[in-house]
Parts: sequence; structure tokens; C-alpha cells
Amino acid sequence: MRAYHEQTMPATAVHPDRNFKYWLLAPAIFLLLLIGLFPLIYSLVVSFMRIDMMDTDTSFAWFYNYKNLFKDGRLWWSLAHTLLITAIALPLELLLGLAMAYLFLEKMPGRQIFISLLVLPTIISPIVAGATWRLLFDNKYGPINQILSWFAGERVNALWTINPTLVYPAIIFCEIWQWTPFMFLILLAALSNVDKSQTEAAEIDGARFLRTFRYIVLPAIWPVMAIAILIRGLDLFRIFDIIWALTQGGPGTKTETISIYAYTQGFKQFETSYTAAIAFLVVFILTVICTWAIRRMGLAK
Amino acid sequence: MSDLKITNLHKHYGAFHAVKGIDLDVPSGEFTVLVGPSGCGKSTLLRTIAGLEETSSGSIEIGGKDVTWARPRDRDIAMVFQNYALYPYLNVKDNIAFGLRARKFAEAEVEKRVARAAEMLGIGHLLTRFPRELSGGQRQRVAIGRAIVRDAILYLFDEPLSNLDAQLRDDMRVEIKRLHKELKRTMIYVTHDQIEAMTLADRIVLLRDGLIEQQGTPLDLFERPKTRFVAGFLGSPKMNFVPATLTAAGVKLADGTALELPGRSGLKAGQAVMLGLRPQHIAMAGTHLAKGHVRVPVVIELVQPTGSRVQATMPLGGTSIIAELGAHDVSRPGEKAEIDIDMTRAVLIDTTSDKII
Repeated sequence: MRAYHEQTMPATAVHPDRNFKYWLLAPAIFLLLLIGLFPLIYSLVVSFMRIDMMDTDTSFAWFYNYKNLFKDGRLWWSLAHTLLITAIALPLELLLGLAMAYLFLEKMPGRQIFISLLVLPTIISPIVAGATWRLLFDNKYGPINQILSWFAGERVNALWTINPTLVYPAIIFCEIWQWTPFMFLILLAALSNVDKSQTEAAEIDGARFLRTFRYIVLPAIWPVMAIAILIRGLDLFRIFDIIWALTQGGPGTKTETISIYAYTQGFKQFETSYTAAIAFLVVFILTVICTWAIRRMGLAK
Repeated sequence: MSDLKITNLHKHYGAFHAVKGIDLDVPSGEFTVLVGPSGCGKSTLLRTIAGLEETSSGSIEIGGKDVTWARPRDRDIAMVFQNYALYPYLNVKDNIAFGLRARKFAEAEVEKRVARAAEMLGIGHLLTRFPRELSGGQRQRVAIGRAIVRDAILYLFDEPLSNLDAQLRDDMRVEIKRLHKELKRTMIYVTHDQIEAMTLADRIVLLRDGLIEQQGTPLDLFERPKTRFVAGFLGSPKMNFVPATLTAAGVKLADGTALELPGRSGLKAGQAVMLGLRPQHIAMAGTHLAKGHVRVPVVIELVQPTGSRVQATMPLGGTSIIAELGAHDVSRPGEKAEIDIDMTRAVLIDTTSDKII
């Protein structure tokens, strides 16, 4: 009888505490929720309040801040600026990245070194890249105006970060310079995975580049390309560093994007609750766009 | 008229010399098989004909037109790839129609041709399927359909059956042979499988190390090989090679066994040779010795039945040879037997040059 007990006891002892593993996981999950979810909920609560740094008023204003969003022209202009930059920079980065990827698909001497060099801009911190470009664009001491002068044959004094017509090209140029390599790298990986015998078969079948790309290459790289577009699209929507370094949203509010505006409201005007409301507007817009894009691109499959 | 004329073709990959000066003339309507062991340059040769690899030197003419530097699409060829290379995002119909549409055929004509090709290959019911939904054999049929739907001068096949299992391979081989009879087009077929080569070819081109070792009809190569390599490559089981020395009347094997060689003259006595004997030309001793045969007593070493025949391994003149005997001739190792060797079919190989004497 005693021997029987000793044999079966360990087996029965394990059973009641099946959920023990969840207890072991609990602290880690709690910590993750604390870090991830708490600030989100906290700022949601803040967005319904009347907090700013000038006052001690912490009463609830409910939808007051959200109503103000609709009356805030500067906010909608900053949203328009953001969309403008995204709409121009994203396709350009995609096309340039794709063209470069095609170029580097061929075997050539020094290919590895070139690829590493090309990817360098992406490694640099955006704020550093922006600061560097600000120096390069400088109207008095910057080399860009100097080089343009050589071609023009006279002194060029373009105010790249001040002149309203030049400031967008300058920002978009920097953005493309920094992030095209990202597209390039991802698309190069995707293109290298396209079955070579399929493109060879298409070539023998008499298909030219566009037909081969449309029916064979694009469907093959699409899942990867769609994700690259999505990542870059989101990044561009939240663009901050490069613009901050180049123009700080200026001249005036000409290049103020949604992130810059939110920063200005939060940390220059100290409108804490209103900034939280802006942040939630951005979260809402991005959620809608992402959901739509993921469904549209068929990525859920 | 020849549909393909290759003159002194070379192909280098960096320092590696894959094709070392090949001359080839393929007459219209012929089924030519390029065969050889892996690494012999047969696939490279085919890809160079297709224009997928650049020619290093020499020239290629297709249909009387020099296409050495032409793009693949301008060469008027169709090709079936080893891994089928079907377009995964197009259905069977669009796969077959791809080449026609790329060449701007009217849609009515495309429909007609696709339907005919599909019917010819028995894939009419698969037209709306996608490649991933097809079996290996069906994919192979679609790949062939994609090639034959067009009016090309040359149809190239790059080891099309090597990814199929044995049963399907036999079926598809028959199918390809039938297609060639129906279409009467010029086809060039690459394989490493000597049975495929023997059964399909009007002409076999046997390649070795980037050079043509011998070309001719299958039977010509089988019965009149010019080198030891050709003799050993074709035929299954492989030809047996037994070291021997020439005598006035025949050969003497290493263990002293003397075998008479009928109908041969001018043999240099004392010369070291390889005696080549096909397993099929060795039989169990019959009631009387046929003319030109020699009878030798042997001890069976190993027995491999194949059902209809049995492959028996036995020592002869110090070497193990394989004989293909009747299914019930021998049953177990260690058995003593007498074999008759048909010496009229034996080949003698010069050991220094590896050429057939």
C-alpha cells in the first residue's frame, strides 16, 4: 500500500498546478503591459483633461480638445504637409530602390563593397543626417551652392532651408537620400529570390521587360515590397528628425508636419492635453490607413 | 537544310572551359539528343544555343540566320526547362498563352492554339488551374505545351524528365516521342540518362569534357563505339572491360585463359588491350557452341534478378564481369556454370589511346 502511494503521488501532484506556468509568465507580461499599454491609456486619459504646464487645472474637459482639433487650421495644414512629403518621397524611394536593386542583381566586381557603401545613409541617425545636410545646404558656407555656382558660372545663393519653393525639394531630397537604400536592400533581397529560370523562360517566350515584370517578377516580390512600402509609409507619416534639423518646420509653418506640430504644441506651447489629443488623431489615422492597406495589399493572406 | 549549325563553339566561365570547340549540324525535323555525364557541358551547350549564356567564341546559326549575338527572344526557339519554370502566378492557360501574347498574337488565334496544344497533351481540363495545384507530370505537360504552342524553328529540352519518378518518366518519354512524330519539328534534347537518349534520339551526340566524343544513330553508337568512353556509357548494365593481351588468334586474359577472336586480321600479337564484352552477349552454355562463340567455365559470385533476366557477377580473367542471363539460368552465388561469350560482338580497346581497334 505504501509503495503504491509513493509511485502514484508524484503523478497526481503535478496535475492540480497545471496553470503554474502562467504564474511564472505573469510578472513578465505585467511588466510588458506596464511599459506598453500604460502610457497609451494614460495619454488617452490626459487627452480628455485640461492639463497644460502653465496651470494646475487637471479637471476633465472630455471632448473639448478633440473638438478643438477640427477648428485648428494649423493642424490640418501640418497634416497636408505630411501627406505631401509622403506622396512624393515614397514613390520616388520605391522606384529608385527598385532600379538600384535591378542594377545590383547582375554579378559585377566590387558588388559587395558597393552595396555596403550604398546602405551607409540608412545607418546614420536621422537627426545627424539632417544636421549634416543643413551644413551642406548652408547658403554661405555649404558646398551645394558652391558646386551649383561652378555649373551656373555665377554665384548661386539659394536659401535651401528658408526659401519656400526650395525647402520642400531639400527636405524630400534628404529623405530620399537617407531611406532609398532601405528600399534597395529589401527589394534586392526579394529580387534575388525570383526563380531565374522563370525569367529566362519569359525571355525565350519573347516577353520584354515590362511584361516579365508585371506577370512574373512583381507577383513574386509583392509581399516583401508591400511590407517595405508600408514601413516606409508609416515612417514618412511620422517624419520629424530631418525636418527638425533642416528647418524646424519653417519658414513660418511652411514645412510643419504632424509630428513637428505635435512636438511644438507639447514641448514649446506646453499644451499637454491638446497634444495628447493630436497624438490620438495620428494613431487613429494610421490605424485606418494600415488596416486598409493590409487588406488592400492582400498581406493578411 | 539544317536548322542549327554550330561552328567551333567555345564557352568559358572565368578560368573554366565548359565547351571546348563544338561543331554540330542538326538537319530539319531531326530529334537530336545531347547526352553525357554531368559536367560534360551538355546543358551549357543547350543554354548557349538558347542564348541564355553568352558565346565565348564560335558561331551559332538557327534556320540559316546567324544568331550568335542575338537575344534569346530573337532566336526563334522554344525551350522546356528542367524545373518546368512555370509562371506561378498565371494559370495553365495563361502560362501556355504567355509567349503568344508577348508576340502579339490575336486573342482568337491564342485561344485556338492553346486549345490545340492542351488537347494534344491531354491537359484541357487543367486550363484554369495554377501550377501549384498540379502534379509533377501535369506541370511537365504544361511546360511542354508552353513550348509547342509556338512555331519555333528549334525546340530545346533541358533534362525535362529528370524531376519525375521512374513510372512517369517512361510515360512522358513515349509522349515526347509521339509529339515529335506528330509535329515533325527539330528538337534538341539534353539528358544524362542513356536510356532516354537511346529511345528518343534520331541522333545521339555524346559529349565528354566539353567535346563531342562521338555522334550518330543510337544503334551506330551502341554497336560501333569509337572509344572506350562511348562503349562504357551506352548500354545497361555497362559493358565489361577485361584486361588482355593480343595473340595471333585472339586474346589471352591475365589468368592465361585464351579466347579466340574470329574474323579479325592484322592484330599485333603482344599488344596490351581491354576486351569489351556487353553483358547481353554472354549466355549460359547451350547444347552446341555457336559459331564465333567461346565457352568458359566460371563460378557465379553474385546474382541480381530483374524479373525477366538475371544479372550475374562472375570473375573472368581476374576481373569481375556482369552477364545478363535467362531468369532461371543461375539461382545462387557459388554455383559453377559454363558461359558462352559471343566473340563476334566483342570490342578491343587500345589501352594507351582508349580508342577501339
